[in-house]
Amino acid sequence: MPATPQTALVQDSVPKVDDTLAVGEDLGFQRSWWRFERFIWSLFLVILICDVLGLFGRGWLAKARRATPDNALTLDYEHIERASTPSVMTLTFGPAAIQNPGPNGKIQVFVSNSIVKPLGAQRISPQPSVSAVGGSGITYTFAATHAPAVVQIALEPSFPGIHPFRIQLPKEPPIDAKVFVVP
Amino acid sequence: MPTILHAVAGYFILLLVVRVLKRRAGSQMTLFEFVLIFLMGGIIILSTVGNDRSVTNCTCAVIAVGLLHRSIAWAKSKSPRLGAIIDGTPLVIIRNGEWQPEIMRGMSLRREDIEAAARSSGISQTDDIAWAVLERNGRISCIAKDS
Repeated sequence: MPATPQTALVQDSVPKVDDTLAVGEDLGFQRSWWRFERFIWSLFLVILICDVLGLFGRGWLAKARRATPDNALTLDYEHIERASTPSVMTLTFGPAAIQNPGPNGKIQVFVSNSIVKPLGAQRISPQPSVSAVGGSGITYTFAATHAPAVVQIALEPSFPGIHPFRIQLPKEPPIDAKVFVVP
Repeated sequence: MPTILHAVAGYFILLLVVRVLKRRAGSQMTLFEFVLIFLMGGIIILSTVGNDRSVTNCTCAVIAVGLLHRSIAWAKSKSPRLGAIIDGTPLVIIRNGEWQPEIMRGMSLRREDIEAAARSSGISQTDDIAWAVLERNGRISCIAKDS
């Protein structure tokens, strides 16, 4: 015996407007939605202004500069970065950073491991003559003649978060800073 | 894993932006609106797949979006309120032959939009429209006075 198909009466499932047309209009909801839309567009505008200013990286407010007291090392970097987006950290060395200035001069600088892993150091320019690992970081040695000398580290943070790092010259106080990486 | 999270984030960001745009993104599209759809889709895909353009990664992203879409469709069928939030509700633009200025203003509609919808429904004059309804999908339905 064939099964009886289930049936139901066809009825309007939504309220009628003026008892005529079943539309299901909800003006109260719509007015709330328009208020929400105005709020969201204001929020979008604030987000764009923050972006232009650099609050989400790659802008004026994202740039930072730190230096040792005697300006042996000046560090220019972005304290707000974006994940998977390249940036450059610039280390400018003053006269006090160069050991034996002249043809046999050199600069030694320690960078913490966080520069390599979470902040994603891609390359260092110029290439150091010696790299020594240890002490939760890497000590780079560069041949240097006279100040100012500049070294650039290309970064590309791999994941979001707050990543502290340390850069230090021998016999100098360290520069400790943090980079906030946005998604 | 990051791709799936990016896909989920991208889905909701696009859903929000398209939803707070006025209701013409999907229907009655002009060239002006085509630009929006292609540009926004193209931008969001960049952050979704990132540098990993492997078949595995893209397949996972597509599956994640499909699953999310199906889950939301299921949730909408269970909750009319959620359906109203995501799709909106129909709005009466012409009620018994009278314009509803609040709706026209709120939805940034022009009379030309309704006149175009009337013509496609076989109504030659605006005076002959008894009811015009802005549907959830962005279409405008017109009912003539004598029908």
